[in-house]
Amino acid sequence: MNLWRLARRNIAGSSYRSSVVFLCALVVAGLALSTILIVRGASESLRLASLRLGADIVVVAEGTESKVESALLMGTPASAALPRSNLQKIAAVPGVAAVSPQLYLSSLKNASCCSASEMFLVAFDPATDFTVSPWLQKNLGGTLRLGEAVGGTYVFTPEGEQNIRLYGYFITLKGNLEPTGTNLDRSMFFTLDTANDMARVSKTQADQPLQIAPDTISAALVKLGAGADVHDVAARIMQAVPGVMPIESPNLFLAFRRQISGLLGAMLGILSITGILSLVLIGLVLSMAANERRREMGVLKALGATRGFVFKVLVIEAGLLALAGALPGLALAALTVYLFRSLIIRGLGVPFLYPSPLQLLGLVGACIIGALMGVTLAAAYPAWRVSREDAAISMRE
Amino acid sequence: MKIIAVLIIITGLLIGTIPLFTDCESQGRAIKLPDGRLIAMKCHWTGRAELALALPIAAVGGLLAFSRRRELRRNLGALGIVLGAAAILVPVALIGVCASSEMLCNSVMQPALILLGTLVVAFSLVNVAWPGQRMEQAA
Repeated sequence: MNLWRLARRNIAGSSYRSSVVFLCALVVAGLALSTILIVRGASESLRLASLRLGADIVVVAEGTESKVESALLMGTPASAALPRSNLQKIAAVPGVAAVSPQLYLSSLKNASCCSASEMFLVAFDPATDFTVSPWLQKNLGGTLRLGEAVGGTYVFTPEGEQNIRLYGYFITLKGNLEPTGTNLDRSMFFTLDTANDMARVSKTQADQPLQIAPDTISAALVKLGAGADVHDVAARIMQAVPGVMPIESPNLFLAFRRQISGLLGAMLGILSITGILSLVLIGLVLSMAANERRREMGVLKALGATRGFVFKVLVIEAGLLALAGALPGLALAALTVYLFRSLIIRGLGVPFLYPSPLQLLGLVGACIIGALMGVTLAAAYPAWRVSREDAAISMRE
Repeated sequence: MKIIAVLIIITGLLIGTIPLFTDCESQGRAIKLPDGRLIAMKCHWTGRAELALALPIAAVGGLLAFSRRRELRRNLGALGIVLGAAAILVPVALIGVCASSEMLCNSVMQPALILLGTLVVAFSLVNVAWPGQRMEQAA
């Protein structure tokens, strides 16, 4: 009988011991993967949202920073008004290469004139834009015309219709952007001309007209020139333009980053406690099992098994149980996080992006290695103790 | 294998009860017709269909708990796989749930039913493939 077969027989022979180790491995591996998926998904989502905005500095009206960030990430409607005249002042600041205005709007809630309820809408100026326009040039070969829009990855034209209706205005969806895991995935991007046209049509066609205050924007996106320091330029903008707050790109979504750090700390705490308790429990169970089986191991040694063989049998047994527990635990965790992702976003108040299959495979592999190492470590001492014992003493006791 | 049977019973009961508390009707939502009448949304009918599936799933679990013959266990396992797949298909394709991700039926009921249906399929697969059954038959 070889090593692996003996270990498998031992597992089948003691269902209680095997179940405890199996369950511990299942819980720890599942919890570890869930923690990694949620925290990594939230951080990755923030990174992609910053990239999608594509600005080095976002200038908003003083006191509206968190409102604009919440609007961009979570789709919370925000009324942040910045005088349009500030664009020229910002453009004149040394180090600024380009400035482009954006207007943040939202569709009506459960209104017959809107195909999508409370959709976040971003209007940009195609003449100065450097965030959406490069994507449009690359994928559509030009910019958007009046009445045309591109949407986030989850924006679609309703079944059986050719356009999306917003405020009674028909918009043609020209394409979809890559997912970010934030509310930008449920947002629509069109030109300022389309926004103004929509406001005009909405006066007669919508349940409630779209109000756009003249000469105001929601935010000014700033691109820096080569070699310009983000911090210096932000300070200069604050000095040159009163009543505005420049948010530097690395500090963008800072409140959300802090929330994710808090979440990471709490989840790591729970994971550490569960992991340590599980390892202690596994160690205890295996130690008790090793004591119970001293006679059996003594017989094995009397039949010619070496100390190394006895040690390996016990450790392989624990490893097989760890693997058998970790695999369903990881599958369950991956499936649960995937299925309940929208509940996670709403419940935790952070954006979330599920990893690609390849990245998920890597994370699962890392968790399996972790579970194997943990359980093997817990099994190593009792296995070493039993393997060192003299065969005659083992059989007598 | 008795543990697996008990798990199938519990999963079956959850499949039947979760929609009772997470469909739109339980949240006081309904479609209002122009004549003022209220009719249930489709997630409510998904809940009813799941209730109809939950009973045979729990029954499969109950029968598995008391069956010793290998053939019977295998057949019950196969039936469990079909019922578990149906529990997934009802909220995903056959009837569906409300479209808005803001609604509880979309964010909780549908994922919970998919998860529980997957568990029923997995537990039933274990019953079909478990090698220990051969030994039980011999005994």
